[in-house]
Amino acid sequence: MTATGFALRTDGVGKRYRKGWALRDCTLALPAGGVIALVGPNGAGKTTLLRLAVGLLAPSAGSVEVLGSDVTASTPRTLSRVGFLAQDHPLYKRFTVGDMLRFGRACNLRFDQGLAERRLATLGIPLDRRAGALSGGQQAQVALALALAKRPDLLVLDEPVASLDPLARREFLQVLMGAVAEGGVTVLFSSHDVHELERVCDHLVVLDRGRVTLTGDIDALLAEHRLLVGPRTAADLDRAGTVVEAVHSDRHTTLLVRDGGLPAAPGWRAQPVALEDLVLAYLRRPGAAVTP
Amino acid sequence: MTWLLWRQHRAEVGVLGLLVGLFGVALLVLGTQAHDLFPGGTARCAGLDDACAASFRRLDEEYGYLENLLAAFYLVPVVIGAFLGAPLLARELEEGTWQLAWTQAVPRMRWLAAKLAALAGVTVVLTGAFTAVLTWFRQPFDAWEGRFQYDAFDLEGFVPVAYALFAFAVATTAGALLRRSLPAFGVAFGAFLAARMPVALLARPAYATPLTTTEPVPTAGATAPAGAGSADWTIEHGYADATGRRLSSAEYADLEAAANEAGTNVNQFLHARGIQQFAVYHPADRFWTFQLIEATLFAAAAAALLGVVVWRVRRRLI
Repeated sequence: MTATGFALRTDGVGKRYRKGWALRDCTLALPAGGVIALVGPNGAGKTTLLRLAVGLLAPSAGSVEVLGSDVTASTPRTLSRVGFLAQDHPLYKRFTVGDMLRFGRACNLRFDQGLAERRLATLGIPLDRRAGALSGGQQAQVALALALAKRPDLLVLDEPVASLDPLARREFLQVLMGAVAEGGVTVLFSSHDVHELERVCDHLVVLDRGRVTLTGDIDALLAEHRLLVGPRTAADLDRAGTVVEAVHSDRHTTLLVRDGGLPAAPGWRAQPVALEDLVLAYLRRPGAAVTP
Repeated sequence: MTWLLWRQHRAEVGVLGLLVGLFGVALLVLGTQAHDLFPGGTARCAGLDDACAASFRRLDEEYGYLENLLAAFYLVPVVIGAFLGAPLLARELEEGTWQLAWTQAVPRMRWLAAKLAALAGVTVVLTGAFTAVLTWFRQPFDAWEGRFQYDAFDLEGFVPVAYALFAFAVATTAGALLRRSLPAFGVAFGAFLAARMPVALLARPAYATPLTTTEPVPTAGATAPAGAGSADWTIEHGYADATGRRLSSAEYADLEAAANEAGTNVNQFLHARGIQQFAVYHPADRFWTFQLIEATLFAAAAAALLGVVVWRVRRRLI
């Protein structure tokens, strides 16, 4: 899709606000195509990273490249290739839904008005209703329709479903995944909820306290990691590869290891790790960043 | 962009346009009546003959209240400017829609340039129209009182437009920094009042070196201020002795007491001692020069503030 084949590349990116660094030494190469999840607790720097990715912010250090071009150049062409859905899906509250579509048409090089109208009609959202009078779920859908009508190569969404009720959340994800299935768009979205990621995503970035702690293709990550369960031991098991986390109960020790085989000691067995447990283990780790 | 600008700001522009329009019509009606008091035009009344004196008296009696009322209207340009400037960035930041506006295909600098140009343009047009009507309305009053008083100078010519642009710029900048419309509006109002006082009281008299006239105290008649005409702007007046040294109010009080003690008319007493009247003033024809200087001052401040906004948006600090 692009010359480099990357949707987003960051090199040593940092962003400092008055309070301090929100993001440090962030180096990523996210492939074009598929769905990329950016996961981390509140305050991890997810919003900052996404705003850097769409050029709303300029990095304090390093460089950001989106679809092969420097994002801070902000030409109409580069801007039109990226769609962004900010947190709480802001709309002009006093505009009607029709006005919002007209806004999209007026401010973009390409805008598929018919596509947006069809999507909204399917969802039963009337064009003459004021955006501020819609439910949260409907506002999110209007914002999504607006972003998709740009026919972007990269669609960036900041906590798109965080403020939605379960039903609206499901509907929103359905529409989003439908758009992905139609092809041509790379989706990068953030979430502090690691639930259901496995079903939806191809690629994962874990962000913690302003640093990337894990990034990679989800299938590969799951293949590389495994849980080793054995009798309780405090000793280092040097053959267990990189130990991500060790949990000791009364009688057992559970190790999450990367690239590790089974210890030679008797009584040990290996089992695959669920994505959710993997992410949580990385988020529980104190400090140090691990990038493959 | 044109459609978006209109759709986003039509409410403010409509309300302000309506108010200025109503105000203009009311003032045109009343002003026509006031102008009719001077069939030959106010310019012919410089000589203050009896007919003119009568006209001016009627003007004062019938429309004096309006003149006093309008003195407070020097704040209208500030309201217009602040009202249009405050939401320009603040509302986008408040509602999060800056993230929507600046991720479409219109680069943010183009977006900002269009917004600033359009809303500053509306500010200029509305205050310009408002000021033109007011300046016209005040013509007969100006012929009588001059144009340097606060209720004339601050309401006429181009300074109101510069005040409005200043308020617009302060409100826009404050909106960008505070991220809230209402406080930004308040800051613009406060900043204007804070800037205007020192400018009107300290800077304005110093835009040019004032002239001084000195003449002997007249022996008879009212103690009209020396030299300066009624349309001139008298900054200071008082008495000086024969050598030209200015007398303090205590010295003058002593002389007055001495005259009363001697039982003579104060003016004759002063005249006999060679006491002179002096006046420090700016002649009436400096009006436009002063207008230009003050307008430049406020417009330059506005440009500097908008420069800060442009810089911040350009550097992606907001």
